Amino acid sequence: MSTETEGGDDDLREQITNFLRRNFPQIQMHGGSAAIQDIDRETGEVSIQLGGACSGCGISPMTIQAIKTRMTKEIPEITEVHANTGMGGNEGMAGGSTSPSFPGHESSGGDDDEGPEAPF
Amino acid sequence: MAEFDPERFEDKYANYFTELQRAYKNAFQTMNDRYDSELIHGIDQFVLSESEPFYEGDGRFRIELPDDPYDRLQGVVVGEEKFDSIMDRYLDEIETELQRVFGFDTSE
Repeated sequence: MSTETEGGDDDLREQITNFLRRNFPQIQMHGGSAAIQDIDRETGEVSIQLGGACSGCGISPMTIQAIKTRMTKEIPEITEVHANTGMGGNEGMAGGSTSPSFPGHESSGGDDDEGPEAPF
Repeated sequence: MAEFDPERFEDKYANYFTELQRAYKNAFQTMNDRYDSELIHGIDQFVLSESEPFYEGDGRFRIELPDDPYDRLQGVVVGEEKFDSIMDRYLDEIETELQRVFGFDTSE
């Protein structure tokens, strides 16, 4: 799904990252994180995922609203911001897993996976 | 104590962002102590994230909700009537917290 786009995307991505860093340092302060999930240059829409302590402690509503309102003001290319928190993240997108896959990575030998188990 | 200026509240997310966060956070904690935590988290995430506070004058605030707040809720099973009554309580709580944060008299 990640189509390679011509450099402008990185530019915009950087603007968004800087905007968040400059205006919402508390996202990091609270141990939360903000990840840019998707940028659509055509429509000017950007999706941001707030995670960590940003979600579910009562401050995320205003954080989300502030990001939406101010980002569209400060970055002219952005017309709409979709911000969501980690909750209810099981919305079945077609295709399911969004974790990066590594082509050419084959499990050899079938040893048990020794990675740490994610607690659910 | 924030010096409240209705005109500056027009650009609330720039001028009064931390105060707004604090009011929402305090209301969240009060509601979370009193009611079902899952429901309060759900309201916080799915309904209030689309809400907007407005200053009504006379030291009063109003919270505007998105359309169909009940339908926005995800992952929580609750009857609509119960949801409505808790949602009303929650809004009262946020409005009162806003009055507190901005130093207005909160006595009815």
